[in-house]
Amino acid sequence: MKLNVSPAIVLHHTNYGEADRIVTLLTPDNGRIKGFARNARKSRKRFGAALETFAEVQLHWTQRPGSGLVTFQEAELVSLRAGLRTDLDTLALAGYGCELTGVLFDETVGAAETFSLLKAFLDHLDVNGASDEARLLLELRLLSLSGYVPHLQHCAACDADLPAGPVGFSAARNGSLCEACGGGRMTLQVDRMTLGTLGRILQTPLNHFEGFRLSPLTRREGLALMAETLRHHLPSPLKSQSFMTALDSADES
Amino acid sequence: MLDSIPSFTRLVTELTKFPGIGSKTATRLAFFLLRQTSAEAEALAGAILDLKRHTRFCSVCYHITESDPCQICTDSARDDRLLCVVETPQDLLAVERSHSFRGRYHVLHGALSPLDGIGPNDLKIPELLQRLQPGEIDEVLVATNFTVEGDATALYLARQIQQSGIRVTRLAYGIPMGSELEYVDEATVNRAIEGRRKID
Repeated sequence: MKLNVSPAIVLHHTNYGEADRIVTLLTPDNGRIKGFARNARKSRKRFGAALETFAEVQLHWTQRPGSGLVTFQEAELVSLRAGLRTDLDTLALAGYGCELTGVLFDETVGAAETFSLLKAFLDHLDVNGASDEARLLLELRLLSLSGYVPHLQHCAACDADLPAGPVGFSAARNGSLCEACGGGRMTLQVDRMTLGTLGRILQTPLNHFEGFRLSPLTRREGLALMAETLRHHLPSPLKSQSFMTALDSADES
Repeated sequence: MLDSIPSFTRLVTELTKFPGIGSKTATRLAFFLLRQTSAEAEALAGAILDLKRHTRFCSVCYHITESDPCQICTDSARDDRLLCVVETPQDLLAVERSHSFRGRYHVLHGALSPLDGIGPNDLKIPELLQRLQPGEIDEVLVATNFTVEGDATALYLARQIQQSGIRVTRLAYGIPMGSELEYVDEATVNRAIEGRRKID
């Protein structure tokens, strides 16, 4: 059997039986791969902490023809990103990023740009901690890479320029809508300037997370727009999102 | 061939439900039980039934017990002002084996997991917070595992408990006793270097 070697980021793992683990990782050339790590919980010498969620590793694996699951032979730890585990909001947002990436990119095809984006996102959180800007940038760029990014700068229905001020938005109709196409019945209203900022963010390099300072209005409207778009495209709500909501509720109480 | 012996196949089927027991091991165990005397087999069956009939979770710390509250919660020699939080009853036993902790315990029965959607209300966290009356407890030692889930749980507990002015501590990271540095993984060495101490 051919031994494959690639950089990889651990997206999720599930304990299996007494000592094994089923691990899902993202690789640049093979996309999302899922496999079996035998004795991962028993023998610390073979995998150690390398298969912990968020870790970046040099992964060695084999795959039987026709089998969906690969078998992990070895994982050399490149970065554990221990900084993600020193703050609860950061850890929760990193988990959300990994889950969202895994759901939007569930195929074993090349994902070099997605890998680069997730790596930069996790590295940024590792050093700077959680922020609305980091979340917004990741969501917008993941939607763009997966082909789900909504129309922002022009009307999604007639391609007309959008007026200044509040603009209607519908994920079901694929983006912003002018007054004539939206008919004033949109549940989500977003300022034209917010749409412009989101459009400009899409022009920036994928792995660039530093130096973005967004106004409270842009953050609030941008996150609402992303939430509406993701709700429309995702098959079910993300578990990590429910977790973040539970944390917010606990903080409020 | 063994299909013609229903009682044997039934036992094998039940044994394969045990963690780490496959059909081959289950068959070996079934043959072993076949060779035992009736009294020995009844003793085993009785022990399993006794376990199910008489054990429950302690209503204070949620460790397994036959009497409620459990022996640890009623032991007057223990320090009431020190509380150790663990994920599972097995973790409690591991701490007890060290003979280095003489406070009380609280078993969470799991750990927070953002990616599996396991939140505070899915664990015995509300019961823990209810137990922590200011002025009665000085320190909570969080002894959850050193996994992403264990760290998430420790961070959450620290955030909730510190508000009431109680000191929250975490077990130290480090190289296992008796191990050779050459065979320890990079992450553990990294944490051990970060947490190095002056030799007095």
